[in-house]
Amino acid sequence: MTASVVPPKRGRLRAPKFLLAGPSIIWYVLFFVAPIAFIVYYSFGAKDSTKLVPVNMSSLSFSNYHEAFSATFFTTFKATIKVALTATLLTVVIGFPVAYFLAFKVQEKWRAILLALVIVPSFTSFLIRTVAWRIPLAQNGTLSKWLQDWGVIGGPISLLETRTAVQIAIVYNYLGFMILPLFVALDRIEPVLREASKDLGAGRFATFMRVTLPLAGPGIAAGVLLTFIPMCGDYVTATVLGGAKGNMIGALIDSEFKGAQNWPLGAAIAVMMILAVLLLLGIGAALIGVVRYVLRRRRRVTLDAGATA
Amino acid sequence: MSPSKEPVRILAPTSFRETLSRRALLQVGAGSVGLAALLAACGSDKKTSSGSTATTTATGGSTAGSTAGSTAASSADSTAGTTGSVSGYSEVVNKSSGTLAMYTWGDYNDPSIVGDLAQTDLGVTMKVDYYTSNEDLITKLSTANGSSGFDVVVPTGPYIPQMIQKGLLQKFDKSKLPNIVNVDPLYLAQDWDTTNDYSVCKDWGSTGYMWDSTKIKHDITSWTDFITAATGEASGNVSVLDTGANILGMYCWANGIDWNTEKKEELDAAEKFLVDTFAAHLKAFDSYPSTKIAEGAYTLSMVWNGDARAAYARIADAGGNPDDWKWALGSPNTELWMDNYCIAAGSPNPDAAHAWINWLLTPEISIKDLQYHGYNSGMKGMPDLIAKLAPDLTHGDMIFFSDDQVKTMRTQKITSSQDRIADIYNKIKAKAGG
Repeated sequence: MTASVVPPKRGRLRAPKFLLAGPSIIWYVLFFVAPIAFIVYYSFGAKDSTKLVPVNMSSLSFSNYHEAFSATFFTTFKATIKVALTATLLTVVIGFPVAYFLAFKVQEKWRAILLALVIVPSFTSFLIRTVAWRIPLAQNGTLSKWLQDWGVIGGPISLLETRTAVQIAIVYNYLGFMILPLFVALDRIEPVLREASKDLGAGRFATFMRVTLPLAGPGIAAGVLLTFIPMCGDYVTATVLGGAKGNMIGALIDSEFKGAQNWPLGAAIAVMMILAVLLLLGIGAALIGVVRYVLRRRRRVTLDAGATA
Repeated sequence: MSPSKEPVRILAPTSFRETLSRRALLQVGAGSVGLAALLAACGSDKKTSSGSTATTTATGGSTAGSTAGSTAASSADSTAGTTGSVSGYSEVVNKSSGTLAMYTWGDYNDPSIVGDLAQTDLGVTMKVDYYTSNEDLITKLSTANGSSGFDVVVPTGPYIPQMIQKGLLQKFDKSKLPNIVNVDPLYLAQDWDTTNDYSVCKDWGSTGYMWDSTKIKHDITSWTDFITAATGEASGNVSVLDTGANILGMYCWANGIDWNTEKKEELDAAEKFLVDTFAAHLKAFDSYPSTKIAEGAYTLSMVWNGDARAAYARIADAGGNPDDWKWALGSPNTELWMDNYCIAAGSPNPDAAHAWINWLLTPEISIKDLQYHGYNSGMKGMPDLIAKLAPDLTHGDMIFFSDDQVKTMRTQKITSSQDRIADIYNKIKAKAGG
């Protein structure tokens, strides 16, 4: 009788599935989309220090972009990208063996503890971790004096206020964000696949290159995104350790907003930075696509249709 | 795959399937607690050492006979003990209550004056945050639009008119600031606030240079010498103040130009020199170089006088020899800046703000604070006050300047060149890093 109408009714009463994403959509719209939209909007305005928010939006123009498209921007941008790319590469090179070790070599009972150790530095605030560097590395610091007394180094340590300091510290600050996704990716590789590779005659190196590494690809990609993008915008490391030599784009944007009170120009630089990073990631993705395509073509085995086993 | 490992759809490493037990979680938790304790220990260590620096400075000015080990509190006692000897000053202290939030420059008040002493004398609990430039302060207050939660702010004079215009400051209730009569009239009614309706002098200072005489063998007596040393023997170990105006000032004063210049050709010439020649020799843009001078990071620094004075204490504290370092006031011209106490618009506790500012205008508190930050706090009859309240004041010549010196000092003006200066400054920074 009535029982037959129940299933469609139940279906109609069900809330739409996308509501599950509701909280995060609200969060991102309020705290990501809206602020970024304002930045983009302001980047077309003009500076007006008489106003509370020092931007005059009465006539919109690209003049800030003209101004931002300067040697200052490119010098700083180049330095920033160089630091970020080098650091990303280093985190992969340093992080991969660690993740590999954790995923394949370590006894299960130790794994959780070792993983926790990777996360431990994040319990301390980013800023404190970075400032803490200054204490042992100071020129007149204890470490410097000991090393000189023992004759390890000829003169005092002169690492602070250099680009090298920024480079080392930025690798250290982001290493965990590379190791974790790499570990997750490697850990998901079923041992049977690697065993199969060996059974089919591949050596350790071939197994690594043709089975493990490609399967870890998404993890590497995730790690690169999680480290490279924040590194490009990193402001703390360069400010605290870099001195005059470690200037990065984040500091340039900061100085336009706070130092010069030129919000429109700062906004334009910020937008250019976002676009430039997206462009670089696009180029990177395209390059990887090409390499994979070439490799696949080279390794392709054509099965003869008429062949008999 | 072993049968015991059912594929679980969870975004976590597989190893967690086995180990995600209560015990494992506790282990991780314990690890973090241990770390927190360790950090707390480091934190308190650092606090103690910076506290001892404060003590050195504070006891430097306390009355003779007080032991070297006396704390800031006991030095406060000795100051309070001499209260009776200061006459002719208004000494009103109004009690207040609640929390007072101040937004100010780094390390700019005696810790007890923004701490336990404010609690005992006024009944006010202080909360202090720091900014590094006036623009920083203005940005923070503007974006909060009256809800920043700050009561007291400390802008530099020339920035006050635009802050009033933007409605970022509120008028004083002068009936609550009777001690304003203690301020030397020379430091009242300044250009930026001729009636002191919004601001009252906190202190004023100037800019000079400090150098390591073991590395730079000749004396630096002018900005020209500074530039010569910076591009010569000190190259690569030079710090300059982290403000575009001061770097431009250095160039202008060395070349006999007004540092408030709006002339395009002068700014062009300044840019050419600062970006193409000067920038490559810099190690850091540092508004408070004293700590890093003690660390040994610099050979030559452009520095505000109070911070230079603090550097001597810090060098000694770090085990260095303060006598190796020399200081001189910028010449032939240099800066004169004045920072001012103001009350932020929308201040949650204006009563406490007035009470606190008024308290800072009593001679005892003013001089106590002066001994800490090392800047002239503008009380009238200053020499007598120092003789009575701080006879052991160290490096007094770095705080108080002669009339002839003051004549060489120039105040910054906010002109149409602001954007240009910011642009030049960014170019200097880009070049220094490239």
